[in-house]
Amino acid sequence: MAKRLEGRAAVVTGAGRGIGRAIAELLAAEGAAVVVNDLGAEVDGRGASRRVADEVVEAIRARGGRAVANADSVADFAAAERIVETAVKEFGAIDILVNNAGILRDRMIFNMTEEEWDAVIAVHLKGTFNCTRHATRRMREQRRGRIISISSTSGVYGNSGQANYGAAKDGIAGLTRVAARDVGRYGITVNAVCPGAMTRMTATVPQTARAVRAERGLSTGAGERRFPLRNFGPENVAPWVVYLATDAAKNVNGQLFLVMAGMVALLNYPAPVRTIAKAGRWTPEEIATIFPHTLGQDLANPAPAKES
Amino acid sequence: MADMLAGRVAVVTGAGRGIGRGVALGLAAEGAKVVVNDYGVALDGSAPSSGPAFDVVEEIRRAGGEAVPNTDSVATWDGAARLIGTALERWGRLDALVTCAGILRDRMVFNMSEEEWDAVIAVHLKGTFNCVRHACTHMRERRYGRIVTFSSGAGLFGNPGQANYGAAKSAIGGLTKVAARDLGKYGITVNAICPVAGTRMTVNEEVRRARELRRQQGIQREDRGVAQIEELDPDDVAPMVVYLASEHAGGVNGQFFLCFGSQVALVSQPRPVRTLYKADGDWTLDELERLAPATVLEGLVNPAPPKEA
Repeated sequence: MAKRLEGRAAVVTGAGRGIGRAIAELLAAEGAAVVVNDLGAEVDGRGASRRVADEVVEAIRARGGRAVANADSVADFAAAERIVETAVKEFGAIDILVNNAGILRDRMIFNMTEEEWDAVIAVHLKGTFNCTRHATRRMREQRRGRIISISSTSGVYGNSGQANYGAAKDGIAGLTRVAARDVGRYGITVNAVCPGAMTRMTATVPQTARAVRAERGLSTGAGERRFPLRNFGPENVAPWVVYLATDAAKNVNGQLFLVMAGMVALLNYPAPVRTIAKAGRWTPEEIATIFPHTLGQDLANPAPAKES
Repeated sequence: MADMLAGRVAVVTGAGRGIGRGVALGLAAEGAKVVVNDYGVALDGSAPSSGPAFDVVEEIRRAGGEAVPNTDSVATWDGAARLIGTALERWGRLDALVTCAGILRDRMVFNMSEEEWDAVIAVHLKGTFNCVRHACTHMRERRYGRIVTFSSGAGLFGNPGQANYGAAKSAIGGLTKVAARDLGKYGITVNAICPVAGTRMTVNEEVRRARELRRQQGIQREDRGVAQIEELDPDDVAPMVVYLASEHAGGVNGQFFLCFGSQVALVSQPRPVRTLYKADGDWTLDELERLAPATVLEGLVNPAPPKEA
């Protein structure tokens, strides 16, 4: 089978484990030379271990692929430049960037500390900006590039207990839509994927928390599915990400996909669904009268008030 | 003066000018006591002054309303705490929070400096979180609250040259959806407004120049919002915000509304629109190449197609 990414250089952040590792390995299997970036931290961002990235590099090399390890933090502007420059130095270019690194510090918003907010925003949102910013400079000179960022339904749909993570992940979706428009004309595409997979990150969400949220109706799924989803392995997220990195996807730009357990779905751009208008300015009383029968028709409160 | 918000206490951030000012005046006109917050900075976040907040307080008082100024920066955790504390100390309660404060530092993503990114994220995103976080602990105790955040089409639809602003505004959208789910059961609603209006943020020489440059380079969408923005009065946004801040809107939670002159639109939430599915999920690239173009990707348009060199 012809390798689709022969001669291409890729950076995958957070590639030491889970979804990032699966993506790095599939990119390498398709012939890409891969910078395997991982700080080797715990799920909450603490600690660091070079071994995590080294192990993936060894696995790729054992199968005849090309890879180098990098243990810089994406959350640091200067360090992110080193990550991107590692690809340029080692492999001569950066053709593909996969922004996958992330941490979790779940807490209900009314108890969330400043530190919990800052840490998650720094790694996910600023980390994605940092790498995108440095990579697009190179890609713009090259007049080619593929950027795929990992977003999440936690932000795109909203998931209770994840104000920091949800904001960061919806922020990445917004960054993706803007960056796609900033760099598309230079032959670069920027897309995002909301993955669903069983990894050590999702394993930290206690089953009891899920059960409690479901019982209270606090969880928002994708709605009713007409087919069963099974096999939530992280390796099932990788094919679509790698597809987006290939020439075949050269005109797919600024889009958000939901990918899990064999499902690949395009998410719609937000759009006005119902509109009210009048000649001249509304009064609040007029809106209060008209709203329930117009804009407010069939709106469900995702977490209705409990009668006390 | 009407009384839809009689006895209620509200905090409005960035209330010294533009949309925030209109919201503060609108809330006060319905009987709310208002903390008028404005750091009083230039559009890029520099040179704080107390003028704008005091001016709007004066305006409210002259119209027979009650208001106090606050000039803290929402971008700091402690500043936001003092802002929320101002409402509690002065009037003993907080019923509504409206977060309008924001700045702009537009730049194409490949040229954006770390400082340009950080400044915009700090005011919009962290500022919104800081205020929501401090307000919601009080609202949760009282089992009542109305929070209205400001998102933007720049993030939801994607606007070139605004990676920082678009990311922040989209992130505020995510924060709004999560907070709605965290807080709804305590009688608190959290909704977002995506406004389009002519203010010093959207109508100034620099913005006009940047838009013209983008138009020449073929990367500016010619949509109605851009064409008409200068004619859209920022005060038109207030009535919908006042409604969402009232008791009447108790069942409206986690929603997004586009305010565009006298038009108000409900914005759709993201959902899967086209799906490919394989039972075991072990897609090969051959399969995806064969199936995706006519299914998941059908009809997609590249918003900024490559220029032939």
